[in-house]
Amino acid sequence: MRYIWQLVKNSFRMQATYRTALLAGLLTNLFFGFLRAAVMLALYQGQTSVNGMSIGTAVSYVAVSQGLIAFLTIFGYFDVMRSVYSGDVAADLIRPASLFTTWMGRDIGRSIVNLIVRGVLLMAIFSFFFDVVLPTSLLQWVWIGFSLLLAWGISFCWRFLVNLASFWTPDATGVGRMAFALSQLMCGFILPLRLLPDWFTHLANFTPFPSMMNSPVEIYLGILNGSQLFSAIFAQVLWLGLLYVVCRVVLAAGIKKLVIQGG
Amino acid sequence: MIPKMIDVKHLTKTFRQADHKRDLAGTLRQLVAPKYREIKAVEDVSFSLDRGEFVGYLGPNGAGKSTTIKMLTGLLVPSAGEVLVDGMIPWKQRTQYVARIGAVFGQRSSLWWDLPVIDSLELLQSLYKIPAQRFKSNLAEYRALLQLDEFLGSPVRSLSLGQRMRAELCAALLHDPKLLFLDEPTIGLDVVAKERIRRFVQHINRERETTIILTTHDLSDIERLCKRVIILDHGRILYDGLLQTLVERFEGEHLIRLTLVNSPQLIAFDGLRLVSSDGIQAVYAYDHHSLSGAEALRKLQEKYEVIDFELVRPSVEETIRRIYEEKLLLEPPPGS
Repeated sequence: MRYIWQLVKNSFRMQATYRTALLAGLLTNLFFGFLRAAVMLALYQGQTSVNGMSIGTAVSYVAVSQGLIAFLTIFGYFDVMRSVYSGDVAADLIRPASLFTTWMGRDIGRSIVNLIVRGVLLMAIFSFFFDVVLPTSLLQWVWIGFSLLLAWGISFCWRFLVNLASFWTPDATGVGRMAFALSQLMCGFILPLRLLPDWFTHLANFTPFPSMMNSPVEIYLGILNGSQLFSAIFAQVLWLGLLYVVCRVVLAAGIKKLVIQGG
Repeated sequence: MIPKMIDVKHLTKTFRQADHKRDLAGTLRQLVAPKYREIKAVEDVSFSLDRGEFVGYLGPNGAGKSTTIKMLTGLLVPSAGEVLVDGMIPWKQRTQYVARIGAVFGQRSSLWWDLPVIDSLELLQSLYKIPAQRFKSNLAEYRALLQLDEFLGSPVRSLSLGQRMRAELCAALLHDPKLLFLDEPTIGLDVVAKERIRRFVQHINRERETTIILTTHDLSDIERLCKRVIILDHGRILYDGLLQTLVERFEGEHLIRLTLVNSPQLIAFDGLRLVSSDGIQAVYAYDHHSLSGAEALRKLQEKYEVIDFELVRPSVEETIRRIYEEKLLLEPPPGS
């Protein structure tokens, strides 16, 4: 436990040293956030509500999901496979810790920094230009926090699992691109799942991806309440548990198979 | 009997490699029904190490050194054979096992690139659950021996290679491993930095009785540190024994460099081979097994007027190179 804490501390401090990169990331996220908000306004064509989502909520959805990009690493994650292909994974494997724990610890610190800089800060700037929903009840904030935590766990397990492909194939970047494109679409990042055709939303609900982003964003926006909120959280817990188990099983199989590259 | 630190029996590792054809038809066939070749990286390797030994693990590139080390550190599962290190099978109980060993890979870094060295060290403390007292005393000792103080607070990326290797050594030893793997720890270092690292690992070996396996291409490391060497080529052990014995058996001719009073007509005679001559300078070679240096000099002095002389032994590096190139070890030793 102290090991994870120390890892988080180190990765937090390391991420915080990349100030220029953080700023550049923030600006990029802002720019595309404005673009997406403009597209959303155009899509609504003056309608006030589509599928139970008001125009104001839809723009807020854009803001929140845009602010979660870096925290949840929506655009993909290739760190683990890179370390497998370079052979650096050897340095991790000769340590008495699980690869899962080590990579998770490294990612938590990075994510926290990104939640603050490219999440909270982005939302603040965004709200100067658009009407962004701000939850007022403390209880709702507790649920938001809890749901974001679960979403992060699901996102990490998913990303880690995809990276484990590198244990079996000599180049898993293609697999990774494909997988992350899929999760990006299915999690409701590109468009809120509510605005997509019903058949698609139903399909998405059979995957862990809505739990990765759509659910916490809808909880933030106050769309999910009461029993809907509980079932969304419940689904998140289930998916996290399942993905975690799958990660462990696949990792154990992969390590048996792994051949460390290079001299 | 004290159990051995390392006991390796008939260790073998075979890799499957895709058998690539250069023509288009072959490439397509490879896609549909891939054919593989078996490559034996390590074949029937057996050796054992006592506690506190410092052994050099040598061999040309591709000899199977890294593969062996990977199996010994639990990173690779062998195709056949047994390995028992300190009573454990490395790849079976990997996490428990690696907590007891340390490793430094000269070409890789285990430190956090953008953070001060001390942050990486503190992370290791929590990872290995090193008691605070132990951590403090070990760190104090290594700080003094490796002179870490000047850069303990600097980010790793700003360190020189020599400083980084010193930090890596400290990182590998904080948890008091019983067994230490050193893979090219002095690669790319200047003479002063090399010597500092050698002195440190020698100290660790002697004072803490840490068993050390050193793989390197730098034979001056081996000469300075290891009594015993294991030489590997094409996945097989060519030699396992004292470095001294190896050198005595395979060392090439010794040389004697002369400065003479005048420039006489020089000839080869009596087991003395003329290698080169240039005015008053001359170089003779002789087989040191049949002729001692003193005898060689006396014979030369009987014939020529010698002002100055120098006896030159071939370096260990030259000897080892001859062994690799001329496959000397593949022939049965004389008299057997």
